[in-house]
Amino acid sequence: MIKKQGLYDPQFEHDNCGAGFICSLEGKRTNDIIHKALDILVKLEHRGAVSADGKTGDGAGILIDIPHDYLQQVCDFDLPEPTTYSLGMVFLPSKENQRQFCIDTLNNEFENQGLEVIGWREVPTNQMVVGEIAGRTLPHIEQVFVRPAEGITLNEKELNTKTFIARKIAEHKVYATKMSQASYFYLPSLSTRTLIYKGLLVPEDIERFYTDLTDKRVVTRLALVHQRFSTNTFPTWDLAQPFRYMCHNGEINTYRGNLNRMKAREELLSSDFFGDDIKSILPIVLHGKSDSASMDMVVELLLHTGRSLPEVMMMMVPEAWEKHKSMDPVKKAFYSFNSCIMEPWDGPASIPFTDGNYIGALLDRNGLRPSRYTVTKDGYVVMSSETGVTEIEPKNVAKHGRLEPGRMFLVDMNEGRIVEDKEIKGIISSKHPYQDWLDDNLLPLKNVPYTGNTTPQEETGYTQRLKGFGYTEEDIKTLIIPMMSAGKEAIGSMGTDTPLAVLSHKPQLLYNYFKQLFAQVTNPPLDGIREEIVTDTSLSIGSDYNLFSVDHVHAKKLRIQNPIISNEDLDKIKFIKHKDFISASVSVLYAIDKGYNGIEKAIENLIDKVKEKVSQGANIIILSDRGINKDLAPIPMLLACSAVHHGLIKHGLRSKFGIVIESAEPREPHHFATLFGYGASAINPYMVNEIIETLVSSQDRIQLTAEQAIENFNKAIAKGLVKVMNKIGISTLHSYRGAQIFEALGLNTKFIEQFFCNTPTRIEGIGLFEVEKEISLRHQQAFASAETDESADLEIGGSYRWRRNGEAHMLNPATIAKLQVATRQNKYESYEEFAKLVNDQSRQLMTIRGMFSFTDLDPIPIDEVEPWTAIAKRFKTGAMSLGSISEEAHETLAKAMNRIGGKSNSGEGGEDPRRFNRDEDGDWRNSAIKQVASGRFGVSSHYLANAQEIQIKMAQGAKPGEGGQLPGPKVNPYIASVRNSTPYVGLISPPPHHDIYSIEDLAQLIYDLKNANREARVNVKLVSEVGVGTIAAGVAKAKADVILISGYDGGTGASPLTSLKHAGLPWELGIAEAQQTLVLNDLRGRIVLECDGQMKTGRDVAIACLLGAEEYGFSTAPLVATGCIMMRACHLNTCPVGIATQDPELRKNFKGKPEHVVNYMHFVAEEMRSIMAQLGFKTVDEMVGQSQKLNMSDAIEHFKAKGIDLSTILHKPDVKEGTPLRNTEKQNHKLENVLDFTLISKAKNALEKLEPQTLTLPIHNTDRSVGAILSNEISKKYGAEGLPEDTLTIYFNGSAGQSFGCFATKGLHLETIGNCNDYFGKGLSGARLVARVPEGVSYKAEENIIIGNVALYGATAGEAYINGIAGERFCVRNSGATAVVEGIGDHGCEYMTGGIVVIIGDFGRNFAAGMSGGIAYLYAADGTFDERNFNMEMIGLENPSTEDLNHVEELLNNHIKYTASSKARAIIDHWEKEQKNFIKVMPTDYKKALERLAEEAKQEVN
Amino acid sequence: MGKLRGFLEYDRIDEANIPVADRVKNYKEFTVHPGEEKLQDQGARCMDCGVPFCHSGCPLGNMIPDFNDAVYQNDWQKALRILHSTNNFPEFTGRLCPAPCEAACVLGIINPPVSIEMIEKYIVERGFKEGWIQANPPKNRTGKTIAVVGSGPAGLAAAQQLNRAGHTVTVFERDEKVGGLLRYGIPDFKMEKHVIDRRISILEEEGILFKTGVEVGKNYSVEKLKDFDAVVLCGGATIRRRLPIPGAEAKGVVQAMDFLPKSNRWVDGLTNVDPELHAQGKNVIVIGGGDTGSDCIGTSNRQGAASVTNFEIMPRPADDRTTEHPWPYWPFKHKTSSSHEEGSEREFSILTKEFLTDEDGRLSGLKTVQVRWEKQDGARPKLVEEPNTEKEWPCDLALLALGFTGPEPTLAEQLGIQLDDRSNINADTKSYQTNIPHIFAAGDMRRGQSLIVWAISEGREAAYQVDKFLMGTTQLPTKTNGDLPNHP
Repeated sequence: MIKKQGLYDPQFEHDNCGAGFICSLEGKRTNDIIHKALDILVKLEHRGAVSADGKTGDGAGILIDIPHDYLQQVCDFDLPEPTTYSLGMVFLPSKENQRQFCIDTLNNEFENQGLEVIGWREVPTNQMVVGEIAGRTLPHIEQVFVRPAEGITLNEKELNTKTFIARKIAEHKVYATKMSQASYFYLPSLSTRTLIYKGLLVPEDIERFYTDLTDKRVVTRLALVHQRFSTNTFPTWDLAQPFRYMCHNGEINTYRGNLNRMKAREELLSSDFFGDDIKSILPIVLHGKSDSASMDMVVELLLHTGRSLPEVMMMMVPEAWEKHKSMDPVKKAFYSFNSCIMEPWDGPASIPFTDGNYIGALLDRNGLRPSRYTVTKDGYVVMSSETGVTEIEPKNVAKHGRLEPGRMFLVDMNEGRIVEDKEIKGIISSKHPYQDWLDDNLLPLKNVPYTGNTTPQEETGYTQRLKGFGYTEEDIKTLIIPMMSAGKEAIGSMGTDTPLAVLSHKPQLLYNYFKQLFAQVTNPPLDGIREEIVTDTSLSIGSDYNLFSVDHVHAKKLRIQNPIISNEDLDKIKFIKHKDFISASVSVLYAIDKGYNGIEKAIENLIDKVKEKVSQGANIIILSDRGINKDLAPIPMLLACSAVHHGLIKHGLRSKFGIVIESAEPREPHHFATLFGYGASAINPYMVNEIIETLVSSQDRIQLTAEQAIENFNKAIAKGLVKVMNKIGISTLHSYRGAQIFEALGLNTKFIEQFFCNTPTRIEGIGLFEVEKEISLRHQQAFASAETDESADLEIGGSYRWRRNGEAHMLNPATIAKLQVATRQNKYESYEEFAKLVNDQSRQLMTIRGMFSFTDLDPIPIDEVEPWTAIAKRFKTGAMSLGSISEEAHETLAKAMNRIGGKSNSGEGGEDPRRFNRDEDGDWRNSAIKQVASGRFGVSSHYLANAQEIQIKMAQGAKPGEGGQLPGPKVNPYIASVRNSTPYVGLISPPPHHDIYSIEDLAQLIYDLKNANREARVNVKLVSEVGVGTIAAGVAKAKADVILISGYDGGTGASPLTSLKHAGLPWELGIAEAQQTLVLNDLRGRIVLECDGQMKTGRDVAIACLLGAEEYGFSTAPLVATGCIMMRACHLNTCPVGIATQDPELRKNFKGKPEHVVNYMHFVAEEMRSIMAQLGFKTVDEMVGQSQKLNMSDAIEHFKAKGIDLSTILHKPDVKEGTPLRNTEKQNHKLENVLDFTLISKAKNALEKLEPQTLTLPIHNTDRSVGAILSNEISKKYGAEGLPEDTLTIYFNGSAGQSFGCFATKGLHLETIGNCNDYFGKGLSGARLVARVPEGVSYKAEENIIIGNVALYGATAGEAYINGIAGERFCVRNSGATAVVEGIGDHGCEYMTGGIVVIIGDFGRNFAAGMSGGIAYLYAADGTFDERNFNMEMIGLENPSTEDLNHVEELLNNHIKYTASSKARAIIDHWEKEQKNFIKVMPTDYKKALERLAEEAKQEVN
Repeated sequence: MGKLRGFLEYDRIDEANIPVADRVKNYKEFTVHPGEEKLQDQGARCMDCGVPFCHSGCPLGNMIPDFNDAVYQNDWQKALRILHSTNNFPEFTGRLCPAPCEAACVLGIINPPVSIEMIEKYIVERGFKEGWIQANPPKNRTGKTIAVVGSGPAGLAAAQQLNRAGHTVTVFERDEKVGGLLRYGIPDFKMEKHVIDRRISILEEEGILFKTGVEVGKNYSVEKLKDFDAVVLCGGATIRRRLPIPGAEAKGVVQAMDFLPKSNRWVDGLTNVDPELHAQGKNVIVIGGGDTGSDCIGTSNRQGAASVTNFEIMPRPADDRTTEHPWPYWPFKHKTSSSHEEGSEREFSILTKEFLTDEDGRLSGLKTVQVRWEKQDGARPKLVEEPNTEKEWPCDLALLALGFTGPEPTLAEQLGIQLDDRSNINADTKSYQTNIPHIFAAGDMRRGQSLIVWAISEGREAAYQVDKFLMGTTQLPTKTNGDLPNHP
């Protein structure tokens, strides 16, 4: 395994995968099940990944029943009866001496537990099939058989517990040694029932490697299989799945918090059966394992507490119960009670599990992974990520189903039946009187009496305290006033161009050194606004209790609905009088004159004090920074909170109390997020409350009461928190608490390890000494004031808007003025002045790149350096959509970039097809790069066909992990036409791509797009954060052609201020990490690496190049060249220079010309050339990745910057000579076998002569993206118009792979007879799609699932008729397609903006969330609709008009015509009666817009 | 902040002036208060730019968007605090500054800029009216003594800042009253002198000692300056540029800086009319098209001149900004001052060749020639006389408003202070320190003739440096970097 080096750290690997199981309901044991199960994996191979050696998979495996009879025959010792012995599969060191030590240790521990080892069996393997990379760590593999020792009686459960204890202790003992191969030691399984064969293998090699599996005598009732797709290629043998009880497709986002909480809970474990051994098995979760492996270890522990496997799964991955209005109260009580014990392990997850008695699977609350199952009439259940993975005769199908969000699918192997979710959960939920326990113990904060106790008034003056806590006028104006007025977070625009906290000369709050992490690729960010039903911010506080006891004590918690609490609520807690709760306040102030020693000591005392209070019985600790004065300064609250949190974890007391914060510091969502992230349970921002009270009483334009304003503020913070959590894909604050999902930037390792342990920090920086210095600077400003004070009350600020005395900005009056003069007058001297200002000011400590200097110079004459025109071809402008900027500005950039052979980017707003062809004057307004973002606006086959590069925007630097919104007023008719939407109706881009919830989904989208345009490069845009390198490696394996790493500081048309500043990291770290990881993996040659984010000068480009980037993007600077003056009003539609506005009057002010941009690019390239000449590079190619030419500038004198260490960024991995450092080859997309080529060759008549033609072919789940290449050929030839209607009809028999009919264009009729997987009709561009059940099946189409999740995502035109039920998120972001379907899952028609949907069956929960356009007609047999299933935020429910009903009738008749649907038939047969049972879902704004358009049309006629 | 679409909603307004016929009857200020609601609307025009170029274009670093917003919010007291935090004397700058901030205003790219200067003036006037502006003496004294030489805007600003730091400040002024050019150079119709007096009385109340009629180096020995812990030289750049052409010695050829102070003293009741320095009934030609020239025109008209003509050697500038002077730099466009409105002929590209005299040696006329400026590579443009354009102008009073060449050398000589190559006192803007460590210089004396905002700015910045020099640290404000760079 490759060790941590440079910026590469193995702990940031992610994995996603394919998984499935087969079992026989009748309990038939066969060998065939094994092969069928392994065949599932082969059929899912496109969901896995292969390393650079082309042989080593990321790991795969199979879990089966213990084949007792077979083992009896092959072992040279006798086995007792099945289930009376335990079988362990053991990975051992390959070196014999070390192996023996492990065997002895294990034997000893078995003996210590009163067990007897029956014998060891070497597992036969064929090592020839192992890949080179896997071979390097190939373990020796044996099986061990264990039973109770003579004279000891243990039942099966007790035997399993004893072996568990023995194994745990043995593991700890072996890992504690420093043996070189200690990490080889691992037991994949140790059970009386199940056995796991797994390894670093590709699926088809599992049975070739483990020859046992091909022996006919090896039989099983069930087989659970899994293959891994990890984001890089350093997987290990032990992390292959399945694990002992489960496997996992997805990602646990709350992992760090879960681990910390588990560690805290370990303090409390006690069990009579375990006795003293309980201490020896700790820690439960071994260090350095994957999220899935860790989860399995916790599952295992919980099973030994007496809980059943289904119960444990319910506890760890609960449904979204908090806001479920129609959930059975008994079940809700179960979840509520268990939430007092365990926070959710949250993240996208499909988790198949088994203990040999039960086999089943469950899905996360958001339903983010696909899981389909089929039950056959001959008694088998097949479950997997995709349907069609096993050949099953349609006539043999009893049921096609899918896992639903939060639901469990369970087979009781002993009873031989499927246990319905309702039944099993009903049984589990009524095992104990959970509701009574809650009623008697759980205390909601609102029920705590307010006794009128109030915190005393502060003695120090208001302004002084404000200064002491670093408040500025800007904080009040820009942050607090918008929140208290609107209850929403303030919005800003453009990027951030201020120094990193560690480089700032202004004293910084500690929060600013922490950057929020966010989800990209490996799991989706979420939308807590539109999907509020799965989101929750409530928390409970109090002591935790022993996991082994299942009783009422766990419910002794104080429950807080919104943990941003008012002064009154804080008082309630402070003075609480209740038998179960004792609170204690602890001050975090220290004596300022004692300086560093003072604060250090104060933190120690703080921890001691908390320890003391907790030992005295306090279970709520209030940390308070009240009472500052000229002698006492506050320890930063974040530091205090985390120090207490981690300090008491170390002391084994953390599970006994909750932390409540009483602080003047926090004022913006990021501050609150960090406090919760490091362990706080409730926060009272008393200073903000005081500010609000002052504002309300002093400003006459504010029309709110203080209470309202404070409530608004608290609400805004809660919303902001949800956004921060959602960014990383977490839905509940409960599991976000303590999850510390941040990267520190500019804090040194010592400090982090001491107070924030396990937070990544990569460039070192300041420690406690400097933190204290910053406090004292602030304190001095507050208390050592001048003799007379003539200044404005507070400093004005200047972080968001430039001020002389405020924070420095790279773009300031001087640099903007110089750049504009340079580009308008084509004056290189002015550019040089600009570049000097930018480069110098960045050297004066603003950015990481500013700290580098060039070294190792080897000058050559500049004439030898390649010409500027060659360099400029590598330049791109950033993705700015038409909509965010004006048509004029958008086209200017496109023309300029086409003139120099660079590339402009359409952004996510589509593009006017008139721009695809050159203008008469020779200019070309076509954007070379076409972006595909989550909104999929205007993304059609024709659009994609006109791209040279297609960019998938996974994240945006300014607001990674967030979606966007184009408000209605900006959507003028032109923009609406380009985006395929309705004028004046606001448009929402969801945070995630709904077809990318994991790495294999991204691989699928890349495949879709590559099919949609084979000539275009596919570019995946990522944002820098820790671990982006491993993600880049995954993306390279997912076959992207280009990876763009964006810095956090890039621009935007609109973003919450918190995201602008606090999410993401500088590109220097990202590009270096990506380069290092890709080179280490030998993946670099396959990929082009691009970089952007506040790039302004040739020096910036040179540094990016030396760190590994070969293409470069610019956005803000070219805009400045065309006239942008950094008004930062893009989100307000008031841009005075006509760039970021759609106001027709303001657009007239646009004065930019393509030549301004050309001049700028020319200058940058020239500056780059002069640096290349200095360094001795003739071409950029030679220069890429030569990081030895950089070193850290030694001119750093500033007290904070002195501690920075950039060596990790400059690290050059030590790899085999000849390993490429830059792009040297093309990705192999393996398109040669795509079904479309067969279609094209057979459909010549239709395609060339436009003669109607019909084809029939078989189809398999491995035939993916069917129709995309075909449509691409049509779009290239016939443009957006496609073929005449019904020119080409194709019938497919079987199970279609993912993305059936994606981007299918006009004139095609594509029909699957069988069923389809996810992404049916993705980006549908005009074709008709049909999915219908084969003739002669016995199941009812309308009761069975026929297509997967996220069907018709981003469809722009066309029709779809679906003869059965669709999965979750049907028609998300549909903007023009018409669909008829017989039932759908949750979140249907989300973000839809156009088109028509008719649903004649169930429509799930949260229907029509964020639906701003289009119409849905729903049917209910009894004509009644439960309003709780709608998201009513943007829609109204109406009775359809006669005209509407005629349309519905016509569509249903079509549906019957194409699918022979019996349900539609039944409705049409009784149309007179049934038409009353329809309801019309009409978006409110859409209705208004249609009326306005009708009015406008009328006026035009007049 | 501000009003979101205010700049699209309201047009710019400027202060109205009372009619010419009325205002030339006396020397009083003639502007009309636009009313506070109108001012709030003007504040609402401010766009609260992400990069406020005005704030950079203002040499004082006035926090313009912030006080504009406060005015829009009707919070005048807050506006005043913001204004005073960077500017000691907004009542001077609000009347006299040419407003480079407005030239740099972003709104100016597309529309007339925000009327910043007017807003500034009425903030401070409101402050005086309401009694918000009160003496604010330091709580403690440091025991350090400081001499400030010169009581122009630089000296006054330095004195007030240093006094605020708790030092004991003495200001030396050679004239009979405090104010320097403010008092003797600026005519009353631009700024009435009680505006200075009310500010001076606050400074006195705050504890600053003013010694008028004391000229250091003449009736006060430079040796005595050694008694002070620090000295700040703010003597201005008072050497006037001459016009060394034939007839320059003629009676009736008068320096503007003799003419204007005389008039101001007369308005103040300190002196009688000297017919030699009075324009009544005369054909007046003002040479020099700058602000001082304008002041001469306004004064001449008030004195009853028969005719007033203004000569400018440069060509007439364009009416609008040209590409050579792009935004946000000073636009150098044609400007008609209020004095021009009051009646004057204006001649451009004209060079005076000779003062013609009558037999008494009195000025009788001017001989001129038209000129043009020829561009030269890498050098300043060359002045070329147009052939056959000689002309004679009848003239009884020629007022020379040609600017200043530098400070008077005597003080520097006596103190042993080094000058720079432009004959200004040599001190940089990092320390404002001369070659004698405890002696500092600020204002025109250090920088050469310049704007009043620069003078106040230098006084403030020098005070910051002096305090730091004396105390090791300072709590005084500084504007830091951020001045708009020069346009090449």
